[in-house]
Amino acid sequence: MGDEVRDDLKYTNSHEWLKLLGENAKIGITYHAQSQLTDIVFVELPQIGKELKKGDELCVVESVKSVSEIYAPISGKIVNVNKKLEDAPEIINKNPYDDGWLVEIKIKDKSEINSLLDAESYKKII
Amino acid sequence: MVNRSPLYEIQNKLGAKFTEFAGFQMPIQYSSIKDEHLTVRKAVGLFDVSHMSNVWITGIDAMNLLNLCTVADVPKYGKNQSQYTVILRENGTVIDDTIFMNLGDKYMIIPNAGMSSIVTKWLNDKAKEFNLNAKAEDVSRDFVILAVQGPRSRDTLQKLTKIDMNDVKFFGCQYGEIANVECIISHTGYTGELGFELQITPSKKAEIVFNKILEAGKEFGIKPIGLGARDTLRLEKYFILAGNEFEGGRTPLEATLSWLIHWDHEFIGKEAILKQKEKGDYERLTCLECVDKGIPRHGCEIQKDGKRVGVVTSGTLSPCLNKGIAIGYVKRDLREPGNLLYIKIRDNPVKSKVVKPPFVPKDWAFKN
Repeated sequence: MGDEVRDDLKYTNSHEWLKLLGENAKIGITYHAQSQLTDIVFVELPQIGKELKKGDELCVVESVKSVSEIYAPISGKIVNVNKKLEDAPEIINKNPYDDGWLVEIKIKDKSEINSLLDAESYKKII
Repeated sequence: MVNRSPLYEIQNKLGAKFTEFAGFQMPIQYSSIKDEHLTVRKAVGLFDVSHMSNVWITGIDAMNLLNLCTVADVPKYGKNQSQYTVILRENGTVIDDTIFMNLGDKYMIIPNAGMSSIVTKWLNDKAKEFNLNAKAEDVSRDFVILAVQGPRSRDTLQKLTKIDMNDVKFFGCQYGEIANVECIISHTGYTGELGFELQITPSKKAEIVFNKILEAGKEFGIKPIGLGARDTLRLEKYFILAGNEFEGGRTPLEATLSWLIHWDHEFIGKEAILKQKEKGDYERLTCLECVDKGIPRHGCEIQKDGKRVGVVTSGTLSPCLNKGIAIGYVKRDLREPGNLLYIKIRDNPVKSKVVKPPFVPKDWAFKN
């Protein structure tokens, strides 16, 4: 797959991705993460308005046999969640970087982005 | 120490992801659990279940030893017949569930993964205690166990043997050749589908059989299947997994296995479970289907009116029903089908209803 790691995203060691959209950021799990999980069958999304610190549990993604916690790559407030995933969690497997986004967050501290990995560094850990 | 199946290398080449289960590194999945699951329901799948144990029971009192140590009416099962049963402690709780096969000159039992030495010792101790001329011998390491399961399993194996596979009746077992390799063939399984299991020794010959079965089943859409799908397949059919459902000490009455008990014979644990039966007020294994979204897992609390009334012993997403399903122990008065209970998944009580087993009926594949 050509889009295993995208150049325009930031990454974490725990396989989340982050896409900057001005003051906000979209967050999801990487192609590598979904391929390790296989068959995603359930996503438990957070409440809109919830405030999170970098590293807090953001949501839960389940495959048939596993439960995986997804962590907030940066601090902020949840402003939107991908409701489509409630009925069609498999979208994450099909398209982890576009339709399969998990939440949109209002960034609290932009400087935290500097601690995330760029595409080149992320490629080295997968 | 982690044991590997003798088939590890070939499974690795087939793209298996491995997991450790009871000290064995076994394939958890190849392509995807859902896909493998539906392949077994609709076509045919090939499992390596070598983590299970093999124990020979020999000696003139072999039958008497099994009759004493299991709840089954062992003399009823003649040559080439097998039966599913449980081995109990004196207090009536289950040590292990197993199949025993009457092969004429001796019996073979198939204890669970990691249970072979416990069961072997138990049987030998009881033989000594009751002065029986019988011996249990753990030969787990000598055998590979393959399971061929699914509506096309018979067609697949028929291509590899001179035996008329229709003659191997449900719970029948016999010696025979598959792909010119001598093995014990039984019409048994853990998926609720038409299926067969093969006990193969020496284990190095199993690679031939494994490959030949994949080749023969190609026209029927065969796939290698991991332990992930094995677990979802068995749970949809309400088959017990010993490590989960007997955890903490459960009797066959609690595990709703009373249909296995032949009361009209003496066996270890009988007195205890007879007392429990008379008392009647014990928890029973119960099937729950999630009404709301959520996937119950082992250890989740079962609640009613916010109070704990039981615990989930096994839970999963049912690939056939696309719903969360669970089994767990609750008191008798809560088991009425349709009764609403809640399963606490993380912090959310997920509404669930009691259903009759199995979760997935026999004709599911024809209707879907």
